[in-house]
Amino acid sequence: MKREMKVFLLFLLTFGVLCMAGAAFAEDPVYGGILRWREINDPPKLDPAQATDTVSSRAIYLMFDSLVENDSDGKGVLPALAESWEGSEGGTVWTFKLRKGVRFHKECLGESTANGGREVTAQDWKYTFERMVRDNSPRAYFIEMIEGYQDFVSRDETGATEWSGIKVLDDYTLQFKLTYSFAPFVSVLAYNSFMVIPREDAEKWGKEFNFHPVGTGPFMLERWDHDQKVVLKKNPDYWRKDDKGNALPYLDGVELVVIPDNTIAYEEFKKGNLDAFQDFPDEFYVEAKATYGPLFQERPWVGTYYYGFNNSKEPFKGNRALRQAVNYAVDRERISDLVIEGRYPAGKGVLPPGMPGFNPDLKGYSYDPDKAKALLKEAGYPNGFECELQVNNNPRHKAVAEAIQAQLMELGIKLNIKVVDWGVHLDMCERAETQMFRMGWVVDYLDPDNFLYVLLHSSNHGSKGNYSFYSNPEVDALLAEARVETNWDKRIELYRKAEQLIVEDAPWVFLFHYSTSLLGQKWVKNMHLPAMGDYSTPLYNVWVTKK
Amino acid sequence: MTERTTPAASGGSLWFEAWLRFRRNRLAMIGLVMVITVILVAVLATWISPYDPLKQLIWTEGKAVRLASPSAKHWFGTDLYGRDILSRIIFGARISLQIGIFATLVSLVIGIPLGALAGYVGKWVDDLISWLVNVVFAFPFLLFVLAVVAVFKDPSLVVVYIAIGMVNWVSIARVVRAQFISLREREFVEAARALGMPSWRIIFVHILPNALAPVIVQATLGMGSIIMIEAGLAFLGFGAQPPTPSWGLMISEGQKYLGQGQWWWAIFPGLAIMYTVLAFNFLGDGLRDALDVRLKR
Amino acid sequence: MFTYFLRKLLYTIPVLWGVVTVVFILMAVVPGDPARIMMGQRGDPATLARIRADLGLDLPLHRQYTKFLGELLRGDLGTSYRSNEKVSVALSVRFGATLRLAFWAMVLASVLGVTAGIVSAVKQYSVFDYSAMFLAISGVSAPVFWVGLLLLLAFAYNLHWIPGVGYGDGQAIYLILPVLTLGVRPAALIARLTRSCMLEVLSQDYIRTARAKGLAEKIVVIKHALKNALIPVVTIIGTQVAELLSGAVLTETIFAWPGIGRLAVEALVARDFPMIRGTVIFMALIFLVTNLVVDLSYGFIDPRVRFE
Repeated sequence: MKREMKVFLLFLLTFGVLCMAGAAFAEDPVYGGILRWREINDPPKLDPAQATDTVSSRAIYLMFDSLVENDSDGKGVLPALAESWEGSEGGTVWTFKLRKGVRFHKECLGESTANGGREVTAQDWKYTFERMVRDNSPRAYFIEMIEGYQDFVSRDETGATEWSGIKVLDDYTLQFKLTYSFAPFVSVLAYNSFMVIPREDAEKWGKEFNFHPVGTGPFMLERWDHDQKVVLKKNPDYWRKDDKGNALPYLDGVELVVIPDNTIAYEEFKKGNLDAFQDFPDEFYVEAKATYGPLFQERPWVGTYYYGFNNSKEPFKGNRALRQAVNYAVDRERISDLVIEGRYPAGKGVLPPGMPGFNPDLKGYSYDPDKAKALLKEAGYPNGFECELQVNNNPRHKAVAEAIQAQLMELGIKLNIKVVDWGVHLDMCERAETQMFRMGWVVDYLDPDNFLYVLLHSSNHGSKGNYSFYSNPEVDALLAEARVETNWDKRIELYRKAEQLIVEDAPWVFLFHYSTSLLGQKWVKNMHLPAMGDYSTPLYNVWVTKK
Repeated sequence: MTERTTPAASGGSLWFEAWLRFRRNRLAMIGLVMVITVILVAVLATWISPYDPLKQLIWTEGKAVRLASPSAKHWFGTDLYGRDILSRIIFGARISLQIGIFATLVSLVIGIPLGALAGYVGKWVDDLISWLVNVVFAFPFLLFVLAVVAVFKDPSLVVVYIAIGMVNWVSIARVVRAQFISLREREFVEAARALGMPSWRIIFVHILPNALAPVIVQATLGMGSIIMIEAGLAFLGFGAQPPTPSWGLMISEGQKYLGQGQWWWAIFPGLAIMYTVLAFNFLGDGLRDALDVRLKR
Repeated sequence: MFTYFLRKLLYTIPVLWGVVTVVFILMAVVPGDPARIMMGQRGDPATLARIRADLGLDLPLHRQYTKFLGELLRGDLGTSYRSNEKVSVALSVRFGATLRLAFWAMVLASVLGVTAGIVSAVKQYSVFDYSAMFLAISGVSAPVFWVGLLLLLAFAYNLHWIPGVGYGDGQAIYLILPVLTLGVRPAALIARLTRSCMLEVLSQDYIRTARAKGLAEKIVVIKHALKNALIPVVTIIGTQVAELLSGAVLTETIFAWPGIGRLAVEALVARDFPMIRGTVIFMALIFLVTNLVVDLSYGFIDPRVRFE
């Protein structure tokens, strides 16, 4: 009897596996087709050196490649145009072996490119990095630890003709020499500004390169109708192959369709005129999840949403009890649930889930009005106080702010919301002219350094990231130590210690962690939402079955 | 000679005649009644509104009162936070009227003296002021207001009415200037001048009262467009700050729920704007006919 | 006539200079640093300073002003900070969209307004008259953006007749709702004006004479009355064109119409100074030119008008 059962189970198992194999067979990639991807606005920049926003980044990820790229589950970096790399001399010298046979686009906007589709070599990388400095790329300073950065930046005075720390050893070997050991260096290189560019085209177009972008990515620019769509077509010489050695990409092209209105975008999606809808709006969240089931992908995004206190000014300066009181006064779960459909998980600390070093056991703040009251008393404001909260102009931020305003009112804390444009917001925050401000932070590179050091180290006060003007020498020391430590486990330990101290100091109201979402049509296959955010979803291995 | 001989003094009966004409004008009377209701709603808001306009009911009553459709409990439904939309519209009347009145005052304070100066003095003063008026006119109105609002770091209702007033004064100035040009050569002014009266006295005591009728008409008609501009500003996210129950802000917040069937958040405040603007337009038109003013629009 | 025209034309220069200067001053005092916005959320002060220098924002204001004026005189409106587009190119592309919108809105408004006005006048105090005039005064009183939302709600979200917002590939169907939205106000104004002008003309002696001669009412209205009643109507159509071109800001925002109005608002939010200056100067120019044309057209339509 038992034996029979076993045989039967075995049979079932085999049958199941065969079925699955069959299903997988039926799911063989198909060539051809256009994928229509929704964008909320026209990408401001298609030059990787200049882009700082997610819409631009979406297009850039499709047209360009970096040395290394982020693993889709946020578990570190993978080879891209670099096949391998190694660090030496205590992590101050990094040598990259480049992939052979990678070619630049032959075509852009229907015309031949100046480079003619030639192979990428190490010289191109050196040119790309130097060009970033020459064109004042807002992201060049991310790699300011490469030797000779300052000299090259102020080349008018120093006479430097090159970025000395970047060395071309041969056509396929590139070496970076750092001024100090910087543990997250390789992760930083996965950032979407560090994408290789051909000198010929960059020099031909100068600043106009923005409108004639040429890279090595799976798609090349075919047409750009401003405020309507960016049309990309397949790069026939793309370097990546699928598992069976077939050429990629499968798609004939991608259209980034600009539709500012969410309702209309969703209508278009329902009609099948759009294939992918990213950063899905709250208004239709419940309906879409019910209708589309697994086609609706959502996962934590490596980012944190917070309200910063201005730690350099009254009333929050030096009043830890007051800052903690506000933290206890906010019911994060219910706000998320009632105002944003529960899409943002409540945050305990600085590091978001998905970030290496995230501490699931961190004891943060939860809603506790009694404790808040007690702390208010301790802080010297037994009847509450009045304070201004500055928020940048965005419907979701305003929505959350109104809810928090109502909650704090219960404890006599009168929050005056002030909505300003993004530019003014940044200006005022970094000059410490606010009392409290909304800010969010989404990962640039997958390393705790990108959050803790950038946002809370006292050397980064102001525009470099520490908008709350927090400083704690103990935290500073821990973070600086972690920056140069090469042992991963030791680093994590340092970061956890630092984060614990920060949470106790409460320089922010720790609110939420972001989530990222992507809705795809059932005929879109193999599209996977990565942890780094919807805008970096790879499309080179996506195919569409006939609609 | 006393001031009795000037038409302004005999204006008493002039205004009375105007009132008689006004009363015969049915639309004008409707307009007056409508304006009065808006004012009453604004003044009595605290007593007549069924709920506190800022009270977020979701925290106590849960999702049932979130974006609830119109019902006996909430005539105009509720918004995302379970705030009663009717109550917010009632309190919104205060915001709109406040903006309308103060922006008009700012326009009058700038527009009357400049218009009077241009019309009375003439010559290069007129050239200069007229040039300024033309410059402001040539500016796209809404953009100009937006830019002026953007210049202030702290957005608030005060900023909004100052900004609107700074742009809107030109229409007042134009009317005043035209009146002064036509009045300054009239006998009673000549006479006053011959008596050696100081210019300011002539301007304020003799000419201005006679120039008032078209200014009143222009200001009344202007109220409507100011209220509309404020709504437009709030809709674009400038000016009134949450949770202020500004009608324009409510439309902009409710806009994204339109496509989901939750139309009440954005539609009812629009009706309120329309009602109020309509009221001032009727009233303005009626005043124009009653005071027999011809305005160049 | 010619000297009048020339004087008017010359007068636009100081006015335009005034507009240019005012917009420059506004942008000089507005908070929010364009270089900062270009850097994104995080930026190091050194790069920021270099970007500012690159944009010429580190110069003293009077130098910035003279540089800007000099470039303007050479016909150079500069390059957008935000998108690197040449402002003149961006304007010419977007103006096409705005013009298309404004043109059809004006056609709609004129046809609808004049027809409704005539019928209302001829059938004064009829049900048609009352309802048309009620609609007209409501049309003047409803906020443009709210009308747009109503139309969207009805025709795009509920009835699904119209795909909604955007420019599509330029298909006419995308034009319908924005044109309706933008056309409501001028249609209402034109209807009211046409009605009152027609009533005035119809009460005059020569019309009574024509009627007395036994001419058909249709001929009286169309041949005799209409021609004279339309003079003020034509001029208001002229001034409305200018208002429409610059006033399309809200309509374009709601319908995601890629025109200059939306461009201007976006540029303001992004502190894209060259683009803001460009759009404002351009709109002011259109306003001035249209007014000039309207002024001149008085003379052609109405022989009684004499130019000073």
